[in-house]
Amino acid sequence: MRTDTLCAEVEAAVSAVSDPEFPGVSIAELGMVERVSVEGTTARVELVPTFLGCPALDTIRRDVAASVAAVAGIDRVEVEFVDGPVWTPVRVTAAGRRKLADGFTVAVRSEQKIICPVCGSGRVEERSAFGPTACRAVAYCEDCRNPVEVMRQ
Amino acid sequence: MNPITEPQGRSWSSMEEFEAFLDNGGLVEPRDTMPDAYRHEVFKFIEMHANSELMGGLTERDYIPRAPGMQRKLGTLAKTQDEIGHAHLLYMVAADLGVKTRNEMLDDLYAGKSKFHNVFHYRVDTWGDQVAIAYLIDAAALSTQQAVFKNCSYGPYKRILKRIISEEGFHMRQGEEMVMRLAEGTPRQHAMFQESLDRWWWPAMHFFGPPSKPNDLLLRWHIKSASNEELRDKYVQKFVPLLHGYGFTIPDPDLRQDSETGRWVIGEIDWEPLKDTQRNVGPDSARRIATARSGWDDAAWVREALDTAAAKIEAA
Repeated sequence: MRTDTLCAEVEAAVSAVSDPEFPGVSIAELGMVERVSVEGTTARVELVPTFLGCPALDTIRRDVAASVAAVAGIDRVEVEFVDGPVWTPVRVTAAGRRKLADGFTVAVRSEQKIICPVCGSGRVEERSAFGPTACRAVAYCEDCRNPVEVMRQ
Repeated sequence: MNPITEPQGRSWSSMEEFEAFLDNGGLVEPRDTMPDAYRHEVFKFIEMHANSELMGGLTERDYIPRAPGMQRKLGTLAKTQDEIGHAHLLYMVAADLGVKTRNEMLDDLYAGKSKFHNVFHYRVDTWGDQVAIAYLIDAAALSTQQAVFKNCSYGPYKRILKRIISEEGFHMRQGEEMVMRLAEGTPRQHAMFQESLDRWWWPAMHFFGPPSKPNDLLLRWHIKSASNEELRDKYVQKFVPLLHGYGFTIPDPDLRQDSETGRWVIGEIDWEPLKDTQRNVGPDSARRIATARSGWDDAAWVREALDTAAAKIEAA
């Protein structure tokens, strides 16, 4: 099999991995996949962690390794969390942003403003620098009165 | 349930009309004029959920320095933040209902006047206990939360539950890995979890609550979607074979498998321990509440400093 075809299959296998805390949102959609390469039968996956202290990194590493190992023609999988570039919410893809909004989480501010993913209002007040995870802050919509989470920069 | 497209600030002319709205799968939003009885019932339920996340987070926190190994420490740290974060979101939604302010809810909790889940009224003595909570209790919590989410009639609560459930799913995975480690570990590790199972099995059974009454308002108003017994039974059917598979013994001498249906039937439940926890006089209630209160009191200067700074910014 040609290497680029194999590489595309490995990329697809990496993209199929969901974030452990956002089921249905893939690590590719979250902008965590930096580089995928194949040399011979060895696949190498370079990932960017959203936050260095993220407790899900080990789980993500194992999920990626298992998903890629299932690709025919791959014997060895190397998964590495790289030191750079640094992740920012801008890396979240359009599909990822839509899916996060379905989970009432704002990935990216639009012109510094948080738009409420529940009702579309711009009257959203930041309430707490940290939410349930290191990568999310908590805000509150003054219009529909729902708490909203915002990915931290 | 997302986005909100219906007009806000609806009202209903009678309880019958309101209940018909709920029966049709309607979602009540904060700006709606909801019946007072409904408002209070929803508030009470969310307040208890918030209190339980907070007390659970504090339990978790105690194990950050004691967790074996870096990975487990990170996991425990993250779980602590998850639970406190959930409490934070839930207190926002509860306070918005206008029954008590956030500080009133916290004051009541620290004064021992409020309820929180029975499982956080017990001592957590060993790593085995911590694993039992992660494996047995988190699964029980997840199953009750899923049942509420399924049919929940209060919009903001349903939205938060969606997120909480995703995160609890991740905790479950960690719990499964931890229990497997003990189950397949040394005889001492295996024995440690067995001892914890002996202590935590019945509290897990109590967790689902006493048999639901036929006129249960929580069921009628679509806050719960299944009775306490149904959820407990579903849990028993799942966990008895799993625990047996790991080679553990369930501390219920009357546990049996029905030869016709193949279903597991548990022995009679002694409800006295649950009643003690509901009155905040469980085995570890006093110490837990006092610890939570002292944490709150010790941080008073931080809140004062923030308030002072905020007032100065506002005045400028």
